[in-house]
Amino acid sequence: MDAKKIREDFPVLQQKIKGKQLIYFDSACMSLRPKQVIAAMNEYYEQYPACAGRSIHSLSQRVDEEYRKAREVVAKFIGAKPEEIVFTRNTTEGINLVAYSLGLKEGDAVVTSDIEHNSNLLPWQALFKKGVEHRIVFSGNMQFDENNFRKAMGSSVKLVSFVHTSNLSGYTFPAEKIAKIAHDNGSLVMFDCAQSVPHKQIDVHKLGADFIAFSGHKMLGPSGMGVLYGKKDLLEELNPFLLGGDTVANSTYETHELLKPPEKFEAGLQNYAGAIGLAAAVKYLEKVGMNDIEKHEEKLNEIITDGIAGINGLKIIGPQPAKLRGGIISFVVDGLNPHDIAMALDSTAGIAIRSGAHCVHSWFNANNMPRGSARASLYLYNTEEEAKIFIGKLREICNTLR
Amino acid sequence: MVICIIALVVFSIAGLWSVRYRQLAREAFDCTFRTLTFQPCRTNLQDRIKMNVTSKLIGRFPSLARAFYKYFKIFSWIFVIIFFGSMFYTAYTVYNLIVYGTCDPSSSSATCTIKQAASFLGCGLETLFIYITIAVLSILLVYLVYKYVKLK
Repeated sequence: MDAKKIREDFPVLQQKIKGKQLIYFDSACMSLRPKQVIAAMNEYYEQYPACAGRSIHSLSQRVDEEYRKAREVVAKFIGAKPEEIVFTRNTTEGINLVAYSLGLKEGDAVVTSDIEHNSNLLPWQALFKKGVEHRIVFSGNMQFDENNFRKAMGSSVKLVSFVHTSNLSGYTFPAEKIAKIAHDNGSLVMFDCAQSVPHKQIDVHKLGADFIAFSGHKMLGPSGMGVLYGKKDLLEELNPFLLGGDTVANSTYETHELLKPPEKFEAGLQNYAGAIGLAAAVKYLEKVGMNDIEKHEEKLNEIITDGIAGINGLKIIGPQPAKLRGGIISFVVDGLNPHDIAMALDSTAGIAIRSGAHCVHSWFNANNMPRGSARASLYLYNTEEEAKIFIGKLREICNTLR
Repeated sequence: MVICIIALVVFSIAGLWSVRYRQLAREAFDCTFRTLTFQPCRTNLQDRIKMNVTSKLIGRFPSLARAFYKYFKIFSWIFVIIFFGSMFYTAYTVYNLIVYGTCDPSSSSATCTIKQAASFLGCGLETLFIYITIAVLSILLVYLVYKYVKLK
């Protein structure tokens, strides 16, 4: 994999920010887009900007075709069938769709990890008002604790909803093991794959997941575009929580007849350009190779982890071996505000990282770290040179300000 | 944080011409109001100001950068005291000039910069104030014409 050649496809990397060459280490929040994705979306807007599934003219036929192809491309990418792919706005919407459509009732329980993004925490907190119990599995040294997980299980657990790869630490939970224990217990399993699908080869059957949700904007695709995968038979059972145009085959003043999944979950006019852009992003990732991307990120993470290890007062959040943290390096430095580190990196070297709670406020509050952490997150377009500049600048900032 | 008080004055003036500074002025106002009512600041404006200055110093003057970062609160208070001190003396001087015709009526030998400037230009105080007003208005006019042309 040639990261330098890949960079040529990303217009944003050709420009300077505040007179400095941009070093983008915030891909866990938002990935950059290659020309191919932008071109695919522009092509829709320029050449066939029509509705799908409603009109019979040529433009509409083409949108139908491209939208169908996009679903097929995404389905193949994660080893699913096209009818198991529901297009959503993002991961959050996917998780909410399951939370509100599954028919959870008083006495049921949902199990999550202790390091969930707000997207996989707040929906369950909201269901608490309906009497649905939310159980949290606390992890030992920020890794999966099987004993705690087994203790949390029980006959009332109807759904296990875990983050697959943590956006805070980069740690990937053992999905297969979690799914097996959950299924043995008779509960369904959902994974928040927002940080795993963009960075490694994912096969929903190997994971053993009943549902997975992920976002386009973290995998070179457009923002406002996400995916919910659900097993066909489960999607058929669920009741959509949004109803309207494109979800029904027919309606009278009193009743309506819903379409089959996935259409019954896609209410209203869809983000066709988004779906087409997402398909282009998937094709781009497949062309580069997901295994190569994963290895590339691990290699960069190793360089950075080794390089910053000697910085006085710096602590990495999550498992210490870089190999267990994919492309994410979340850290705190004693005596320094993470926001200050991020601002100093941006101002002095044009390095974009994220700082704060990364939407995992619950974990930071539980660990008495209200200021959060600084987080560098890598992707296929990052290089070893960038990693070395980051190490040097971070060292300079920490040594100067501490 | 007290630095927001200076920011409020500076950004409010700059905000007359730029939307960007108007937003900053709003943040500074919120921060000033909360500071004066003994509540914690909700914006991170002071942190941005602190890091903007610190970042510029890191490469060239590391010791100064460290001192500024660590003792930002003390620096903020110093800036605020100097700011209000100079504001007070400027107002006092202008008052003396208008009422007594000199910056410091208690000392006839005291130097008065505004008066010196007037004599350097060979005009009276009133004429100098007119010149200053014309200069400010001209700058404003040039700026507005520039913005208009740019918008066009």
